[in-house]
Parts: sequence; C-alpha cells; structure tokens
Amino acid sequence: MTARDSAGGNALHHAFKAGPNRLLGLIWAGFATVAVLSAMIVPAHILVQGVLGPLGLVPSFDRRYDTFSRALSNPLVKVYLLVLFVCSFYMLAMRVWYVVRELGVRSKLGVGMAAFGLGAAGAIVAGYLLFTGP
Amino acid sequence: MRSGDVAKVRLDEARPAAGVDGVTAGTAAHPSTPAKPAAAYPVKQPFTWWTRRRGYLLYMLREFTAVGIAAWMILFLVEIARARQGASGYQPLGGPLFIAVGVVCLALALWHSYTFLSLAGVIMRIPLGDRTVSPRLIVGVMYGGLVAVTAVIAGLLIWGGA
Repeated sequence: MTARDSAGGNALHHAFKAGPNRLLGLIWAGFATVAVLSAMIVPAHILVQGVLGPLGLVPSFDRRYDTFSRALSNPLVKVYLLVLFVCSFYMLAMRVWYVVRELGVRSKLGVGMAAFGLGAAGAIVAGYLLFTGP
Repeated sequence: MRSGDVAKVRLDEARPAAGVDGVTAGTAAHPSTPAKPAAAYPVKQPFTWWTRRRGYLLYMLREFTAVGIAAWMILFLVEIARARQGASGYQPLGGPLFIAVGVVCLALALWHSYTFLSLAGVIMRIPLGDRTVSPRLIVGVMYGGLVAVTAVIAGLLIWGGA
C-alpha cells in the first residue's frame, strides 16, 4: 500500500482500513495455539491407536468395546477428545485456506469460507458424536 | 509474505522520486497532472511451482501434514460412531491398510511437530534480564515437552486398554 492510498487519495484502488486486521490476527493466534497443541498431542494418538495397537504390540483403549465405551463416558475424556478434533480441523482449515490460494485460486473469502466451514462442520460432528454417544 | 499475497501488492507509479536535478520532486514539473494509477500485474505462478526447489517441496509437505492428521482424525471419528452401536456392533478399525495409513499419518504428524516446534525458537523471544533465552534452549524445551507429553498420553491410552 502506498502513502497516497492510505491517505485516501486514489479512489480507483481498494480502500484499505486503517489499523491492523484484528480478525486475521485472531485467526493466526488461534492457528499458532492449535498447531502447538497438535504438535504435542497428536503423534501419541496415531502411534498407539493407529500403529502399535492394531499391530497388537500394546493394548489400546479403543481396541475393545468395554474399555472404549468406559473412556468415552468420562466427561473429561469427551472434552479432551473434542479439543483434539477441533485442533486438527482448525489446522486443516487454515493450511487449506493458504495452500489453495498459493496454488492459484484467487478467492480469499470464498476459499476461507469453504475451508473454515468444513473445519467447523467436522468439529460439530465430533462434538455430536462425543456428547451423544456412550 | 506468502506468494498468494503478491497479487495484492500494487507497484507505486513508475515516476522518479526526484526531478532531473535530483533535488526537486518529480511531480513538481507537472503539478496539475492527476496521478495515473499504475496497472497491477498479478503474479501468475504455474500450478507446479512447488516442485521447482526442494525447499518449496518441503514447505508444501509441511502444509499437507494437516490433511494427513485430519484424515486420521476422521478415521477415529468413525470408530467413535461405531461405538454408538453397542458392544455387538463395535468393530475397531484394523488390518494392513489401516496400519499403513497410520504409519503415513504418523510420519506426517511427526513432520508437523518437528517443523512447528523448531519454529518456536525463531518466533519466541523470552526476556531474561538484559538478554533473551537462547533459541536452542527454547527448541530443546519444546522437543522435551513433545517427548514427555507423548509418553504421558501413550501411557494413558495403553493403561486405558489394559
């Protein structure tokens, strides 16, 4: 943005709002938080539930119904798993929002709505399954 | 700046900042001429720009980690949905294909952890007296935290299934 634009001297160009974009700042702050959380907690789940458990090397809470349903009936586990799902889907939405535009799609708002809409849908489905299940 | 933002950058007008004498402003010679906006030329990259360099490829792989993690989370949601059918209807996901998917998703999750926790040393500035904490120390603490959290969560997941 040039100095003339910020002074409002050129009507042909997009009128920028003065000051920082607070919404984008919040979105990035949220991304930084969920990305660190995901970096810390996701590998353990995939390692135990996705690799070691199915291989039979270690027991995993989701391999049997009784242990799985007992864990899922705990409210703390529900909240924790909801945080896990929300972090993963938020991170997906943010990454997709930028990557799709970097691959040539021009619509910032459209891609953002689609990406975050899908992420929100995933989080809602996760919440529904967790809080209406066993 | 990301490459997607390049198209928004408008070049300032291609007129000299100073006149021919190098001192007076370039517009002083034509004070009544309205400034014409320069044409914007959006940068058009080919779709495969990220294959040009190894760094671009690794960057794209890092962005792709979110897809692998989300895909595995959807599989986990399928297991939770199956658990709603009761003990008779519950069948945990398994088999060679599921394990192969798990290995790929684990690799992507670890790549995300490595890249993002390494970034902490660059973006975090923690004041310590009149200096700041060393980036190496911050990254080391982050990796230590990853190992500790992984051990605790893995222990709980295994204990819950025992």
